Amino acid sequence: MSSPIIKVEGISKKYNLLHKDGGTSDSLIESASRWARSLVSREKTHESREEFWALRDVSFEIQPGDRVGIIGRNGAGKSTLLKILSRIVLPTSGRIEYDGRMASLLEVGTGFHGDLSGRENIYLNGSILGMSKKEIDRKFDEIIDFAEVEKFLDTPVKRYSSGMYVRLAFAVAAHLEPEILIVDEVLAVGDAAFQKKCLGKMREVSGGGRTILFVSHNMAAIQNLCDKCVYLKNGQLVDYGKSELIIPQYLQSTNATSSVDLSNRPDRMGNGKLRYKSFQILDKNKQATEHAMCGSPLYIDLDVDGAAGANLSYVRLSVAFDDDYGNRITHMGNDITNQLFEKLPAGPNKIRITIPKLPLKGGEYTVTLFAEVNGEIADWIQEATLLKVEAGDFYNTGKLPESSQGSFYMEHSFERIS
Amino acid sequence: MKTVIDSTRAGKLNWREILNYTGLFRYLSLRDVLVRYKQTWAGLLWAIIRPLIQIVIFGFLNLIIQKNADYKNAFLFVSSGVIMWQLISTAITDISNSLVSNSNILTKVYFPKILLPASSLLVCLIDFAIAFVIFVVMFLILKGAPGWEILFLPLVLIYAIVFCFAVGMLFATMNVKYRDVKFVLPFILQIAFYISPVFLTTGFYLERNVPEILKDIYMLNPLVTILDGFRFCFFGGEAIHSVPLFLGSVGITLLLLIFSVRYFLRFEKTFADFI
Repeated sequence: MSSPIIKVEGISKKYNLLHKDGGTSDSLIESASRWARSLVSREKTHESREEFWALRDVSFEIQPGDRVGIIGRNGAGKSTLLKILSRIVLPTSGRIEYDGRMASLLEVGTGFHGDLSGRENIYLNGSILGMSKKEIDRKFDEIIDFAEVEKFLDTPVKRYSSGMYVRLAFAVAAHLEPEILIVDEVLAVGDAAFQKKCLGKMREVSGGGRTILFVSHNMAAIQNLCDKCVYLKNGQLVDYGKSELIIPQYLQSTNATSSVDLSNRPDRMGNGKLRYKSFQILDKNKQATEHAMCGSPLYIDLDVDGAAGANLSYVRLSVAFDDDYGNRITHMGNDITNQLFEKLPAGPNKIRITIPKLPLKGGEYTVTLFAEVNGEIADWIQEATLLKVEAGDFYNTGKLPESSQGSFYMEHSFERIS
Repeated sequence: MKTVIDSTRAGKLNWREILNYTGLFRYLSLRDVLVRYKQTWAGLLWAIIRPLIQIVIFGFLNLIIQKNADYKNAFLFVSSGVIMWQLISTAITDISNSLVSNSNILTKVYFPKILLPASSLLVCLIDFAIAFVIFVVMFLILKGAPGWEILFLPLVLIYAIVFCFAVGMLFATMNVKYRDVKFVLPFILQIAFYISPVFLTTGFYLERNVPEILKDIYMLNPLVTILDGFRFCFFGGEAIHSVPLFLGSVGITLLLLIFSVRYFLRFEKTFADFI
């Protein structure tokens, strides 16, 4: 094995959280008065400083040419790790060694200035990202080609559409040629129609033996692009290894307590003969999970309680999903599947809904639960919970349509028939 | 090329690294130049109009207060003070804002942060150069060629630049953590303006009936030595009123530079956490 290109040894990062007004940048008077008070009284002032470890003792090594995905939930320390690697924030302890030129892309269009033209911004942004003038000169045509903004080269970028802006910004970034490239979730921002092209470009870049570190919530993108994964949880390294091994581990990692308790929801309607108690999703192995995976089987377990003495006949249950904009995406009901429960016993019942292959795009959906007993509404909870769906490899091809192209996936195939 | 990241807080001035970033320095400065007068009707003319307005205002004040009968001389005297003061005040203001106003870059990319105050300074120097050329032309028309004293001009300009950079860096670093600087600095500059010989002669200040100690403090003010030095280059005459106090003011500037740069380097690596 060759020597590692990046060596991360015991990196920790501590933040002091000030519990008073929360700001890190307190005014001069405040820190002066805190100092003055500390002179007078030896006891601690009432605002407490809480330590928060964004990263704790993280170590791993990356070989030249590796494409490494950094995965973990929000707040796991991914961004902090990238910022330390890019030398933007200082680690509290630990040491990192790397070899060669590193460029970090924590944002597209860093340093873009609205008043400058596209041409000027290409040079400014390129030099901020670490390109020399010669390098930019050489790639200039390629960049404007990629961004498709030839006509607007001399227009101030503040007059650009947001799509053009992001395209131009990403075009500059995509033409960086450092030995090590660090990319944070940049694909998530802005123009969706551009994502595929960017992913393709990045694969092309990494094809040239370059080392890439990539943070994303999009597991399809990670699976597609990265051969190894660093899995962080609460600031600590859980595992590091081949993507095929780490990604499932990450997706299953969610604790079984992810069941949503609905017993005390006040915002519900209905006569109460039947009440939803909890909502729980299960992954393809029927393990409790927090995130549904697109393209995989999904099970929904519903706990419903029948009121004592109630006559629970002809029970109709339904579950509906809405998107971010409040559009109803789909509706599932046992009346439609001809599975009405003619009689349910009082007390707790567990109902399981089976979805053989989840066709929803990655994202969050609001769940509405509805129950009817004998033709009367028994329970109705709108926005009962959120269903989080991870983008998955629905078509088993590593490819998905651009996210602007509709809101769900449909199985299909093409063939030549004559 | 091996790079090591560890938890050492104090930074060092790494000249080799800074030289690697000359391209970025060029584009940051170019951006500031291009942006400064973007979407203005007068454009670069503002570099002339702004000092011109001040010259008119303070020229009148000078004539009223000092009752100078020689209009030509009074005009050139006030002009020299105003353009030098414009350099000092805009440079200090711009440098002290340079880190905060570039926080979007600072929190996303690594580079030697000293480039930001340095490019702000450069942009102010370009403005100064424009005003300066016009001043020199007027001087040549109204008064003819300056004497041998003009040879000291480079020294005086370096002195002024060092002073602006030192004060600017101090405020720039403070500004990262304490935005109070934004409110305090204009007052400091206003006070400095009135206690420095911008439109009145040093002699005028020294002739006031005030305790000697105040006059000594006045002479220690680096602004006084810069402005007097600048005028000495053109008008000749007495540049140094008191040698020890003159050396004292130069010393203050140098100490300030050392302190500011060290203060800056001490916090350089943690800017992103506070900004």
